[in-house]
Amino acid sequence: MQRIISMLEVKDATIAVGERTLATGLSFMARDGQLTCITGSEGSGKTTLIRTLMGFLPVSSGFVSVDGELLTVRSAHAFRTMMAYLPQQMQMLRHHLSPDSCLHAYEADEYGVWNALMPSAIEEQSPASLSPEEIFQLAQKTLEGAKDKPIVIADEPAALLTSELSLQMLQLLRSQADAGKTVLIASRKQQLVAYADQVINLDMLKR
Amino acid sequence: MNTGLILHTVLGLLLLLIPAGALYLLERKMLKSFGLTIVRMVVQLLVVCLMVWALIRFNKAWLSLVWLLLMAAYAAWIVVKRCKLLWRRLLPAVGVGLFVGVLVVGLWILGLVLSVRVFDARWFVPVMALLTAHATAMIIRGLSTYVSALKADEQQYEFLRGNGASHFQALLPFLRRSMLAVISPTMANLTVLGLTSMPLLLCGILLGGMTPVNAFILMLHMIIGCIAASVLSLAITLFLADKSLFDKFGKMQAM
Repeated sequence: MQRIISMLEVKDATIAVGERTLATGLSFMARDGQLTCITGSEGSGKTTLIRTLMGFLPVSSGFVSVDGELLTVRSAHAFRTMMAYLPQQMQMLRHHLSPDSCLHAYEADEYGVWNALMPSAIEEQSPASLSPEEIFQLAQKTLEGAKDKPIVIADEPAALLTSELSLQMLQLLRSQADAGKTVLIASRKQQLVAYADQVINLDMLKR
Repeated sequence: MNTGLILHTVLGLLLLLIPAGALYLLERKMLKSFGLTIVRMVVQLLVVCLMVWALIRFNKAWLSLVWLLLMAAYAAWIVVKRCKLLWRRLLPAVGVGLFVGVLVVGLWILGLVLSVRVFDARWFVPVMALLTAHATAMIIRGLSTYVSALKADEQQYEFLRGNGASHFQALLPFLRRSMLAVISPTMANLTVLGLTSMPLLLCGILLGGMTPVNAFILMLHMIIGCIAASVLSLAITLFLADKSLFDKFGKMQAM
């Protein structure tokens, strides 16, 4: 694989959700070939920070840049084409793993098409959760399909996995970093925190 | 109004004695509400027919277009109410989607398929009314599927966006589900059309004096028109609703 240099930088950033400030003066660099772990207690803003780094949320002050280019609402999509993303709620992605699982069968006489009867609104239900094995399978599939993407972002990648699968996930992420990618994860699991090259602890920051 | 028509109307109303008699014998409490329902139906039908009569009597293109606009606005209100959505956010998108989708397909059918004067109210009103009714029913299905699927599967949208998909690419699974919610029941109904069901429309055409062959052809045109108008109206509605559904960061707004 051709080595692509990518560096994700956060400088003097303030992360907030509505009126609530989660972190101020946050600065760090996530470098290629390294596994960077954002950690902190529950509600410390790990997921919010991850979402901010992907351009889903704005920074209140400071900036986020990728390879020196500023991340804005306009540029966010272009940056996300360089990223592979494993979200926190991976277990909710059954319809992504098997797209036809969400389709309904319709009966002919359910309502009269040309008989002026108005049908009822449809209320789609949330999909059944994926098993830990399926979550890992989806993570593998996603990363395999993103071989040319230089940045990997994973939000609590091992939260719903067994300890055995957590280890495999860790190895999978490590292999991404070894391939020269910038790997950024958010996790509270000590197993993952201890394995990271760089740790950003949000509990240590000013609120 | 001639006396013959009055006599025939009275003779028709006399048939009500059969259900009224049955209710009198078996469920007297319902007699009053049955009577009120009949009166309400007669008044509603009369109002609609007077409106159509006025449209045909004046036969002005602008008047027909205003009527279609009002129909689309009313239908949009029904859609938003049925789908339990915030009407301020989605009413304009549904209204414009219905109006444009129905008008485009309706003009195509009137002008190119049936080759009649497109704004002749005698043709314009029934064709547009039929297309609007069908498109309204289909948009209820399509829009409710789209919005509720986005709510239930918001993670899938974000997952796709996070992996580099554009807003449109990330919406494709939801657009597919929405479109199938419109097309699939229509297909299911078409498979039994004429075998186990005789649609009111076909009966109406036959009652209007057309031969069965002409009724078949007109019915065919109208079925195709209904499907086309519903899909086009839904597509326009979803396109226009996009700004109301998502903020600039791609986050779904409260509906």
